[in-house]
Amino acid sequence: MPKRRDILAIVLIVLPWTLLITVWHQSAMAPLLAVRKGKDYDGSDGRRDLSQGSDSKEYCPLDRDIVEVVRTEYVYTRPPPWSDVLPTIHVITPTYSRPVQKAELTRLSNTLLHVPNLHWILVEDSQRRTPLVTRLLHETGLNYTHLNVETPRNYKLRGDMRDPRIPRGTMQRNLALRWLRETFHINHTQPGIVYFADDDNTYSLELFEEMRSTRKVSVWPVAFVGGLRYESPKVNAAGKVYGWKTVFDPHRPFAIDMAGFAVNLRLILLKPQAYFKLRGVKGGYQESSLLRELVTLNDLEPKAANCTKILVWHTRTEKPVLVNEGKKGFTDPNIEI
Amino acid sequence: MLNMKMKLKNVFVMYFFVSILGLMYALMQLGQPCDCTQHMKQNSDFVRNQDRAISKLQNEVKKLQAQVKPEEPPKPILPIIYVITPTFTRLVQKAELVRLSQTLMHVPSLHWIVVEDAATKTSLVTELLKQSGLQYTHLNVETPKDFKLKEGDPNWLKPRGVEQRNLALQWLRDNRELSDEGVVYFADDDNTYSLQLFQEMRFTKRVSVWPVGLVGGMRFERPLVENGKVTGFYTAWKPNRPFPMDMAGFAISLQLLLANPTAHFHLEAERGYLESSLLETLVSIEELEPKADQCRKVLIWHTRTEKPKMKQEEALQKQGLGSDITIEV
Repeated sequence: MPKRRDILAIVLIVLPWTLLITVWHQSAMAPLLAVRKGKDYDGSDGRRDLSQGSDSKEYCPLDRDIVEVVRTEYVYTRPPPWSDVLPTIHVITPTYSRPVQKAELTRLSNTLLHVPNLHWILVEDSQRRTPLVTRLLHETGLNYTHLNVETPRNYKLRGDMRDPRIPRGTMQRNLALRWLRETFHINHTQPGIVYFADDDNTYSLELFEEMRSTRKVSVWPVAFVGGLRYESPKVNAAGKVYGWKTVFDPHRPFAIDMAGFAVNLRLILLKPQAYFKLRGVKGGYQESSLLRELVTLNDLEPKAANCTKILVWHTRTEKPVLVNEGKKGFTDPNIEI
Repeated sequence: MLNMKMKLKNVFVMYFFVSILGLMYALMQLGQPCDCTQHMKQNSDFVRNQDRAISKLQNEVKKLQAQVKPEEPPKPILPIIYVITPTFTRLVQKAELVRLSQTLMHVPSLHWIVVEDAATKTSLVTELLKQSGLQYTHLNVETPKDFKLKEGDPNWLKPRGVEQRNLALQWLRDNRELSDEGVVYFADDDNTYSLQLFQEMRFTKRVSVWPVGLVGGMRFERPLVENGKVTGFYTAWKPNRPFPMDMAGFAISLQLLLANPTAHFHLEAERGYLESSLLETLVSIEELEPKADQCRKVLIWHTRTEKPKMKQEEALQKQGLGSDITIEV
């Protein structure tokens, strides 16, 4: 009988402690479980830290898990997923029908498919948007806008001669600028950069990342222009542009090729009167006709390691020799090239 | 004795009550949403620090992996496309290789074999390949002087890229086995390739063929196909060649090449017969596999890049004021 009492005593002593410990343990686990379920308050912090640490180019704004998958391989999705943080690069490309057109646009699109947050504005020099370009744009999967405007023909000249007083591509680029101004409003828009990319040049992927940080107008060297290995802005020790390293008329206000600069979208919207001059523009002064309405030399931002790296090449494609077309019955217009 | 017992009993009772009270209090706390932000913040900080450490380590791993190219890549599910590109130093070389690599980077399971026409590997190509992110092999062999084009020679005077392509074939024979699944494609660095082309060629059994745009003086050249078989060739230039096709218009299965270890391009081949010099030892016309929608779609264009005008550069160089050569173009 004393044993029973002892046992009872022991049970009465131990029981509350075990219950207490159990309860305490449970209450310690609860906050951890809440954290795992990914409540908002800490989710954003976690993501920001991780995106600084990793160089993954995947951005998953909908992923609420704190423990994010950090990819160690470059995942080539075509095109890369859209980011809410990166400024959009609006690439304006004028194009016109000729035998190499599809090839040029194909390899340019293969380049652009690597660039995140890219919007391609393709402007055809034609009366109507052609099926070739329409199909091509659709198949690439890129984010694009397809426009067209025909440079007026000079009917006095024989053949397919456009008005020679209007430099090629001018009306098309201006149309794209107008489209941007009609589509985006200065107060309610994601940051953007505007770049004029002709369809036969060669662009490195690094170039697009350099231009993304443009505040007003950024500039860099271009290879194979002006009869030189490259033309380049002159940059002083303070990182400011003070001149132009060119042979052809270095005293132009902006002695730079179309592919050598990018403009912040805000600036385009702020100065709605700034366009490329259509007529009366001396050779080589096209770029200046736009830039002088937007910015002064002092405001230019040099990129590409203070303009010491070549990230864009002004390549030109040979006109293909088509002597055998039409001979001996050789011609098949049904097959698109 | 009784006193002590009483005291002990009291102690017990008090103890019992206190613990019951404590228990009830704790049970009530469970029901409430607790103000444990301190506690939770500590935990999430801890988790975040761990994640930061993890991502830092993973970056390190990635850097190290990039430095150490694995000898044997893990067995891929897709047959590997071996793209053989001969290249030579000239002004537009870097631009051509950059834009070609940008196309190739989209193609899964691809191995780029770049063969320089040079006595030693150049740093330009070495660096470019390293940064491309592609699986690659970098080779070089110099074309013998007798067979080299001289300045001012038209480009068709002597066959180009022959020694380089043959070296790549030899590399494949030395480094791959019959059990390896793959297809070999000769891609010059100035042509333009669509991504669909690589899908078409991947499952070649012997030799597959397709149209090529902007070649042979025509909008395109192509094999003629009837009932899924090649019956002839739509070409205007030297149509009587055994295989009147351009280098970019066919692909050969790796196994076929390995099974014929002596098949190679012939340096002495007459103009336009280079492709035939290899193909006629490997396959007959009936065995060709037509691709690209029965050879009705153009997925590759024989583009050529203009030689950039260097008038001003040359003038400056004469005065000793040439552009900075440390800036690579």
